[in-house]
Amino acid sequence: MNNLCADIGYRSLNKKGELLCGDSVEVTSQTDNSNSKIIVLADGLGSGVKASILSTLTARIIAKMMAEGLDIEDCVSTIAATLPVCSVRGVAYSTFTIIHLIDNEDAEIIQYDNPHVILLRQGKYVELPTTIMKIDGKEIYKSRVSLQKDDVFIAVSDGAIHAGVGKYLNFGWERDNIIEFSETFCQVGYTAKTLTTILLDKCNELYGNEPGDDTTVCVVKIRKREPMNLVIGPPQDPDDCSKMMSLFFSKEGKHIVCGGTTSMIAADFLRKKLIPLLEFPDPEIPPIARIDGVDLVTEGVITINKVLTYARDYLAENEDYAAWSFHRDGASQIARLLFEEATDINFYVGKAVNPAHQNPDLPINFSIKMRLVDELATCLRQMGKNIKLSYF
Amino acid sequence: MKITVCIGSSCHLKGSRQVVEQLKELITAHGLEEDVELSGTFCMGKCEQGVSATLDDQQFSLSPENTKEFFEKNIRGVLAAK
Ligand code: FES
Repeated sequence: MNNLCADIGYRSLNKKGELLCGDSVEVTSQTDNSNSKIIVLADGLGSGVKASILSTLTARIIAKMMAEGLDIEDCVSTIAATLPVCSVRGVAYSTFTIIHLIDNEDAEIIQYDNPHVILLRQGKYVELPTTIMKIDGKEIYKSRVSLQKDDVFIAVSDGAIHAGVGKYLNFGWERDNIIEFSETFCQVGYTAKTLTTILLDKCNELYGNEPGDDTTVCVVKIRKREPMNLVIGPPQDPDDCSKMMSLFFSKEGKHIVCGGTTSMIAADFLRKKLIPLLEFPDPEIPPIARIDGVDLVTEGVITINKVLTYARDYLAENEDYAAWSFHRDGASQIARLLFEEATDINFYVGKAVNPAHQNPDLPINFSIKMRLVDELATCLRQMGKNIKLSYF
Repeated sequence: MKITVCIGSSCHLKGSRQVVEQLKELITAHGLEEDVELSGTFCMGKCEQGVSATLDDQQFSLSPENTKEFFEKNIRGVLAAK
C-alpha cells in the first residue's frame, strides 16, 4: 500500500422546478478492500421522478456489483435487464461514469455517454488513454491510469456542459471551457468538496440561477494521507488518564485536545502549562487554550456541537464554508483540521461522566457528548475519511 | 491583583464572554492594566455558581449583570484603599 488516498466530493443542482434530481452519485468501498473505492455518477433520462429512479437504480446497482468484485460487462447487462423501459422514448437507460480506484494505486474509468472525465495532473489537463468496448450494443469507454499525488478527476453530468446554452454562451460551457476554468484553481489546495462547489456555482451562474437540466459535479482528488488525532473527555477510570494520553500522544500526526478537564489532564501528562486565551473571535464559542506540544486546545461540547453543524452543512449545501475556512475560533479551527487537512482521524473518547456537566439547568450532558462524537464520526466517514474510535 | 474568570462550558453558557469583555473594558477605561491581571481558566468545579471567578484567593460568582459592581467594589475600592 502507498500513502495516497482519495478525497471525494460531489453535489448536484436540480433542474429548475424539479424537486428531485435526475442525477445520482454513489460512493462505496470494495467489500474486501477499503482502499479500493467505486464512485458512480449516473444521469437518468429526462428529469424529475422517473430520471431520479433510473439514475439511483443505475448508480446503486453498479456500485454494489463492483464492490463485490463483478465485471463491468455483468454490471451493464444487469442494468439493461433491470431498468424499466421509458414508455415515451422506448428506451431504458441512464448514462453513467464509473471511477474505480484500485488500492489507491490505479484508477479505472468506465464511461457510457456522459461527458468524459477530466484528469488534471499537476494542475494541467492530461488526455486519458481510452479504449472502446461494446457491451450489449452500447459503446463503453474504458481508461486506466496509475495515480499520482494531486491528481484531480472531474466527472460531470451533461447539465454542466449545457450550462449557459443560449443564455450567456452559444454552445454551453463546453468541456474545454471547464478544463480551462478548473486549471486556474485546482492547484491551490482546495478539497474535493470545495472544488465541486466552485464548479457547480459557476454552472448555476451560467444558467442564471435557473438550471435548464440536472447538473452534477463530482471531484476526486488524490492526496497524501494525513493522520490526525483528537481526544475528548476524561477516561471513565481516572487511573487510565496517563494510558489514554500516552496512546494519544504517541500517534503520528497533529493532536487536538477538546474539553476543559481533558486539557488539564493533557497538560499534566506533558508537564506543561495550560493557558486559556481570553479571546472570543466567535461569541458563541468558548476561547481556545494553549499547551506546548499540542496543536490545538479547545473547549468540549459547545465547540464540537458547532463542528458537527459545520460538518452537516459541508456535506450538504456547503454554505458555512466562508465562515469556518478562515475564522479563528476553536470550532472553525477544528473544522479546517478535520475536514480539509486530515484523511485518517483517530478519536480518543473518554467516557467519564463529567461532574461539571451534571447541572440540570444546562443543555449539555454526558449522553449528548457521546452522541455528538458519534454523529461527527458518521459525517467524517461520509467525507471519505478513515475514522477510528477508541473509548476509555 | 489577579482575576481569573472561568471560561468552561457551563460558565460560557452563563455569560463568561460578557464578563470577560466587560472586565477588559473596565480595566482599560480606568488605566489599571498595570495593577490588574486578567486570565482565564477552564472549569473550576463550581458550575452551579457560575460564572466562577477568583480574585487572588477569593472566590466569586459573577454574571454579566453584577460584573460592574464587582469591579467597582472589589477592585477599584480595594485599590483605592491601598
Ligand atoms: S464551567 Fe465554570 S466552574 Fe465549571
